[in-house]
Amino acid sequence: MTDIITATNIHRKFGTGALEAHILKGIDVTVKEGEFVAIMGKSGAGKSTLMYQLSVLDEPTEGTIIVNGIDVVPLNEHESTTFRLNTLGYVFQNYALVPDLSAEENVMLPLLMRGYVWAEAKAMARAAIDGVGLEGKYANLPAELSGGEQQRVSIARAVAGKPKILFADEPTANLDTVSGTQVIALIADLNRNDGQTVVMVTHEREYALGCDRIIHMEDGLVTSIEQLK
Amino acid sequence: MRALRIGFLLGFRQIQRANFWTTALIIFVMMLTFLNLIAVSGILVGLIAGSERAVQDQSIGDIIITALDDEEKILQTETIRRTLDTIPEVASYSIRYTQSVQVTANYKTRRDFGIEPNTIGARALGIDPVAENTVTALADNLVEGEYFNPNESGYILIGALNLDRYTAGFADITGSLENVFPGDSVRVTVNGASQEFTVKGIINAKAGDVASFVYLPEKELRRLSDSSSRDANGIVIRLADKTPATGIAVKAILVGQGLDEFGIIRTFQEALPKFITDIKQTFSILGTLIGAIGIIVASITIFIIIFINAISRRQQIGILKGIGIDRKVIEVAYVLQSAFYALVGSLLGILITYGFLVGYFDANPIDFPFSDGILVAEPIGTLYRFIILMIITLFAGFIPAWIIVRQNTLNSILGRK
Repeated sequence: MTDIITATNIHRKFGTGALEAHILKGIDVTVKEGEFVAIMGKSGAGKSTLMYQLSVLDEPTEGTIIVNGIDVVPLNEHESTTFRLNTLGYVFQNYALVPDLSAEENVMLPLLMRGYVWAEAKAMARAAIDGVGLEGKYANLPAELSGGEQQRVSIARAVAGKPKILFADEPTANLDTVSGTQVIALIADLNRNDGQTVVMVTHEREYALGCDRIIHMEDGLVTSIEQLK
Repeated sequence: MRALRIGFLLGFRQIQRANFWTTALIIFVMMLTFLNLIAVSGILVGLIAGSERAVQDQSIGDIIITALDDEEKILQTETIRRTLDTIPEVASYSIRYTQSVQVTANYKTRRDFGIEPNTIGARALGIDPVAENTVTALADNLVEGEYFNPNESGYILIGALNLDRYTAGFADITGSLENVFPGDSVRVTVNGASQEFTVKGIINAKAGDVASFVYLPEKELRRLSDSSSRDANGIVIRLADKTPATGIAVKAILVGQGLDEFGIIRTFQEALPKFITDIKQTFSILGTLIGAIGIIVASITIFIIIFINAISRRQQIGILKGIGIDRKVIEVAYVLQSAFYALVGSLLGILITYGFLVGYFDANPIDFPFSDGILVAEPIGTLYRFIILMIITLFAGFIPAWIIVRQNTLNSILGRK
């Protein structure tokens, strides 16, 4: 398997002078295509900050990040937005659905942005919603869905366009145990059945046990890498 | 194009799912702003337009013929009369004779010659009562008494500005008749010749000189002034179609027949004093300035609405950018919302203006001291104001959206400053 993410000597600092906070202190990470990687650590360890660097949502203070063969650090705002649209998928812990759009329209939104025509995007969105087990809930607004259902719509939105990498930032944080387990199973299925590369941040070990590898972090450094498969 | 399409989807859904009453309130504010824009300048201009209309309807008609500069009277009045009878566009006309007169009221009861005589100098208008009433509806301006009956004699109508009870407090009017009412007798003196008339009615109007004349049947005025000439001082013409274009066309016919050799022929617009046109333009500019303040208030309102809307959705905007939605899409969505508020508000404003206000003020003019004000809302002016309001609103919607959308994506997602 080839490396789809290669991050070298990643530093991330916030603030300046006495208020400077050095969150990532020189991290080297690789993720292989088709791999399911979990990033774990205590609160403040820097796991989310690392994921934001890898997922092109933030820019490191120092270091290089190659994602899908492209050096993403020098990309400007427009280029990184386009890159995220075409290459990456996101699942946020608070579902992050547009409240005014139906489930179907939420999933269609990035597809339309990628240039699919309405009918095509609609068919792809419905297939993705069916794929997360929400058949028939196409027209529901997010407010009409439970937290678990909203997170599944969020996953459908992330994967409908078949991204190269799916990033999930604590996707179970706001869910009850049953819904959390279902969401993790869904993400694991995507990895196992479709070969979807997944990078997931979590602080719950039982959810990370289905991954290929766990990257453990502490105080801005990778402390160990646990190979599970 | 793609950003526009998706932006429209986002914006449309935001409007569709928004709280009905909030949307209604915003649209109501926009409607009031638009009405303010139209109505303030419209009523200011309407003040003068109402006055103009009154002068046209009650005083100088659609075309007026007056004596040449070096003549006292219109020459060949009979020729002009015969010509007017042949022009189909002329609906009616009134031939007027003017004469300076002295009117005395207390000549019967004044025993003590040390007391000031109840006398005024006035301008008398000799008219054919029927013709004058057809052209200017003079009888409609009666505030006391009755109008002349055809072919009767010995009666006079007095303009209210000649009577003390109508002019009390007017510093610019000196001399007025005291305690004169319909049924009283007054003596009219012209060049030493006097005749007694019974006051038949009192005329009052805001238009021009209507309330300052005393009115006599033309035959009696000419007899009193011992004038055998039939040449008049003024001919007021009413056209079947009162539009300026018809006025110009009929004037051209009259000039074409050589009548301008006998008198000065002017359309209503030409006869208007320049100061009225100047005041009209001044009020229009003033109205536009006041309306501009309304536009600024509206744009600030829209700015605040969109800014609050966008700032409260800052995290959502960050996430949209995070999943790859271009910032233009989000900006279009907010611009569409502000355009929607402005469009619906303006359309409602236009509907109320033309469906109700213009007609209402036409039928019920505002009673200003010197004119009956109407609402003037020229469609082209309304269109310009609508376009200006739309453009400014679009900017007012775009700027807050631009401010929020340009913020760092991750900071927006995480709610960081």
